[in-house]
Amino acid sequence: MVEYGSSQEIRVYDWRLLAVQQLDFSVLIEYLPAIMNGLFMTIKISIMSIILGSIMGVGGALCRTSKSLLLRSIGNIYVEWIRNTPLLIQILFIYFGLGVFLNLSPMVASVLALSFFSGAYITEIIRAGIRSIHRGQREAALSIGMTEWQVMRLIILPQAIKRILPPLAGQFITLIKDSSLVSVIAVTDLTYVAKNIVTITFRAFEVWFAIAAFYFILSFGLSLAVRKLEERLAESD
Amino acid sequence: MIKLKNVYKNYGSLEVLKNVSLTVAQGEVVVVIGPSGSGKSTLLRTINGLETIEGGDVWINDFSVHASEENLHKARQLTGMVFQQFNLFNHKNVLDNVTIGPINVQKKSRLEAEEIAKALLVKVGLPEKEQVYPSKLSGGQQQRVAIARALAMHPEVMLFDEPTSALDPEMISEVLEVMKGLARDGMTMVVVTHEMGFAHEVADRVVFMDDGIILEEAPPEEFFSQPKHERTRMFLSRILNH
Repeated sequence: MVEYGSSQEIRVYDWRLLAVQQLDFSVLIEYLPAIMNGLFMTIKISIMSIILGSIMGVGGALCRTSKSLLLRSIGNIYVEWIRNTPLLIQILFIYFGLGVFLNLSPMVASVLALSFFSGAYITEIIRAGIRSIHRGQREAALSIGMTEWQVMRLIILPQAIKRILPPLAGQFITLIKDSSLVSVIAVTDLTYVAKNIVTITFRAFEVWFAIAAFYFILSFGLSLAVRKLEERLAESD
Repeated sequence: MIKLKNVYKNYGSLEVLKNVSLTVAQGEVVVVIGPSGSGKSTLLRTINGLETIEGGDVWINDFSVHASEENLHKARQLTGMVFQQFNLFNHKNVLDNVTIGPINVQKKSRLEAEEIAKALLVKVGLPEKEQVYPSKLSGGQQQRVAIARALAMHPEVMLFDEPTSALDPEMISEVLEVMKGLARDGMTMVVVTHEMGFAHEVADRVVFMDDGIILEEAPPEEFFSQPKHERTRMFLSRILNH
């Protein structure tokens, strides 16, 4: 008779050992060129969306703080519409929905979707930043004869940017991570490439682990860069 | 130089200015006093259009300040304003605070603007602070920079809105000295203040406001020795015997 319990323990131990032994990260080396292409695509889409989204955010914030009721309403509708629908649906809508009328490439559709999406959040971040600047700053600038536009450009926005920077960095990081959703419309970004490699090699653990690490490096790298920038801007505090 | 005629101002149902008329001549120093909430700051702010008006008219020289956007802009270039809370631009150093107006509004070259600014900083006694940011300055220093910033636009009138009310007592005199210097140089000034000594010494005329109207105005000697109204007497006794 063999002792049942102990053999069971050995079997469990064996199984784990087997799994660890089977991990093979060499698959990453093999597919490195494809992964790099995906990484560059993710970086490209993120940078373009960050720039376009920031422009839309500034525009949205100017609308929402404007004196004109029409502009304020447009800003409100934009922000509420985007914030209350899922990003995935927005991506699908822009690519397949608008795709009925416009011939958008997956790449253009994803940049548009991500820009519209992050632009709405950036609008709110910038608006809060503008609001946080004491009205005395505006009055002083008006009193020396500046136009409203000069007041905004020379006095309010430069001061607001310092307070905006931390939440803005958070939004940019969110955007980098959310960009993984564009893989659903066959943009060959990091996530899409990873899915393909896993399909071919069945190395799910290795590939997804590595892809997560790439996203981490991008996001964490960005937040470190912003921290440096904040320190530099802090000189007048 | 400045003429307010039958000016009305409301905040909702609250009437802040009720049919106020006031004339300030070239080179005159007018000090406006009165209890808080009497409308004196609002009165000052209607002159450069930081407050809109519901009725009446404000004239600077020969144009109506509130008639058009263009006039408003002109009025702000002709008037310099100094605020209770200084309102220096926190993201700019002292020199840039003073040059930002001449460079961006009057389109002067940086060189020319800096020349003007440096001379003004000497005038207000802060030539060594050019590169310092406002947060590193005392209240009195900030207010003197604010005066220099306003003067850099070569205004014809200076408006002071309780310029010493937010200052620690030991810093009040350094700001008042600069203001006295301006008055000596012949600057037209409208000053809202609680500094009775300043009013006595520098004002050509003292205006007393209460509850949105100008109750009385007189040269300081007459105003302080024989105030006509009971409310003026009460205010003066409160403020002088505290």
